[in-house]
Amino acid sequence: MIRIPGMGLAKGMATTLIRFFQRKATIQYPEVRQEVSPHHRGRLVLLYDEWGALKCETCFQCAAACPIECIDMGGVDTKNRYHIHWGPPEQYAERREESALRRSGRPVPDRTFIPFDPIDVGPLNRILEEEDYDPGHMLAILEKTQAAYAHLHVAALKHISHATGAWYAQIYGTASYYEHLRFELPAGHAIGLCRCPSCTLLGGGRLREALEAAAGASLPGTSSDGALSLVAIDCHGDSPTEPYVTLDREVQHGVSAKSIAKLATNLRAAAARPGRA
Amino acid sequence: MATLLKTPRSWPKVTLGRVTANGELLPFAKAEKAGAWAAWRQVADREAPDTVIRQIGQAGLRGRGGAGFRAAEKWRRCQATEASQKYVVANGYEADPGTFTDRLLMERDPHAVIEGIAIAAYAVGATKAIVAVNAGYAKAIERLRGSIAQATEAGLIGIDAMDGALTLDVEVRPVQGAFLLGEETVLLRALEGKRGMPEQRPPYPAERGLFGKPTLVHNVETLATVPWIVANGHAAFARIGAAGSPGTKLVQLAGAVARSGVAEVPLGTPLGEIVERAGGGMRDGVKMKLAIVGGPLGGLLPAEKMDLSLDFDSLREAGATLGSGSIVVADESTCVVDLGRLLERFASDEACGKTIPCRIGLKRLVEIADRFAAGHHRPQDRELLVELANDVIASGLCNHERLAPDPLLSGLRYFAAEYDAHLDEGRCPAGVCHPVTVAPSSPAAAKKARVTA
Repeated sequence: MIRIPGMGLAKGMATTLIRFFQRKATIQYPEVRQEVSPHHRGRLVLLYDEWGALKCETCFQCAAACPIECIDMGGVDTKNRYHIHWGPPEQYAERREESALRRSGRPVPDRTFIPFDPIDVGPLNRILEEEDYDPGHMLAILEKTQAAYAHLHVAALKHISHATGAWYAQIYGTASYYEHLRFELPAGHAIGLCRCPSCTLLGGGRLREALEAAAGASLPGTSSDGALSLVAIDCHGDSPTEPYVTLDREVQHGVSAKSIAKLATNLRAAAARPGRA
Repeated sequence: MATLLKTPRSWPKVTLGRVTANGELLPFAKAEKAGAWAAWRQVADREAPDTVIRQIGQAGLRGRGGAGFRAAEKWRRCQATEASQKYVVANGYEADPGTFTDRLLMERDPHAVIEGIAIAAYAVGATKAIVAVNAGYAKAIERLRGSIAQATEAGLIGIDAMDGALTLDVEVRPVQGAFLLGEETVLLRALEGKRGMPEQRPPYPAERGLFGKPTLVHNVETLATVPWIVANGHAAFARIGAAGSPGTKLVQLAGAVARSGVAEVPLGTPLGEIVERAGGGMRDGVKMKLAIVGGPLGGLLPAEKMDLSLDFDSLREAGATLGSGSIVVADESTCVVDLGRLLERFASDEACGKTIPCRIGLKRLVEIADRFAAGHHRPQDRELLVELANDVIASGLCNHERLAPDPLLSGLRYFAAEYDAHLDEGRCPAGVCHPVTVAPSSPAAAKKARVTA
């Protein structure tokens, strides 16, 4: 091949010249925007509302719907206690080693246990044995666990998840749905109020509003100081002449809006200053 | 206490025919003598499953759980679906916090419920049955378990019972924790140990229910009616009650009536007659203003509407529902706006949150109703309320949200004048709410109002 001096340069300039007259690939972003497929979702981000709060309410619907299971939701609740994960741990790279370890049959250390108080799993194992490790009996398992430990420990839920094979998120979802299951020790006192039409007619609505104002919590719920919980109870026709109110499961009679507010305030004050109120 | 009301002799007794007045349970031999398990023996001896379903269809039995779905249709669908396992689920949860009709039935005649389950299981080919009972009903649970044990011992149910006609295992499962458990798909999710949220239908539970298997879900009252139909014939049942809804219904009367309690009422009886003849009329010295028919999600029907007959269709047309069968009568001291708002709040609190119109729409309805009662309403609020309520109903996944706006809508429909008084004049005729926010007439008055506030 004969080398002609300047040939390379000429070739290069020729390319430049051709490109110069071709259509430009550059888009004058942000004035001009490229058209994207309607299926394009872009980067997955969590959106915030105008007050700066996360819009996501962890309903898991995106994770459940994602066809290629690329969405995983993980995190803790507002009190930094409960880890939530959708899907089997095998899906996540950071858990692959753990998964291999589990398949080998050796015990798997679980880091998520460490921040929580460990519990004695003896009674829990007996409960699981009784219920045949069956996720279909989850409500019975959770109820018995609560009866044995007074509330549902995170460690207990984790253990149930490991033993039954049900996903933690699902167990957490079940446990957080039913009103009688709780994640914290019960409050000192509980005031119950029936919300049926008959009790509402007899003044239950007023009682409820007074009670909620005095307790600083909505029914059902627990006051912020943890001294008093408000529970919805069913009268089932037991109280035809007045609203059905209970204090620690004892039925109360002749309760007015004023007296129930006073009761709630006194109970909270007694918890704040033991022995004085 | 669960009181049984005396009803006129002319009202037939279908579900409470064997119930004793003192509430004691009959021993098994005596219950059998009174007619318990006779229908099941008859079916097991000489009737094919198809014959039973045809009988139920000709009787025109409709579900007593509130929606009034035709029972035979469910049975046929469940029977036609091929599966390795089928279930019968009896719903004895009784979600309505104020009623005790199902409890009364399960406590005083548990045999009727179990017998109905046996017949239903035989007809659709189910081998496992679950009675889901409210965990608060200790006595009902104990008695149901007792009657299952007795029937198993007598060889009526169990493995290859009645000379191999039926293999049926009946389990009583206490459930609790949410109002929505009264809804069939929610109950099934709870029995599976999952979060109690309703499912899209179809497929109906009769095709894909508990653990994905065909499941026949019925209220305990519906199942307790089945043995009577088999024993007395479908023609006798169809003669009772109204044309479109034959039979009887357990109704609970409460509120300002002379006697409150449970009564068995033939469907098609006018509401006023039920209040008069079963409830003994109004309490002394008070006048009826309205009745809340159908529980907390029911409608508010005015006193003029008391000639309305108690059946599924006419109540639905009037904006109420048969629901749990509760009729709560209110006197003149009741404010419709306030009552509607409180009932709506209950519905909103108990929404499970699966669908957005229910979770957020009901909250907004409560807020609007709160504004009505407090007198802070905005000019468009009334139209907004009706429009939003209709949207919530139209996008309903389960009956909770389809019925939830009823207390407000029926209030607006029948007591428009009272809403007008609240919205336009800023006064509450019953003197219950304080909707008065009158604009200060002068700067001085405004200053005074600020100081006192």
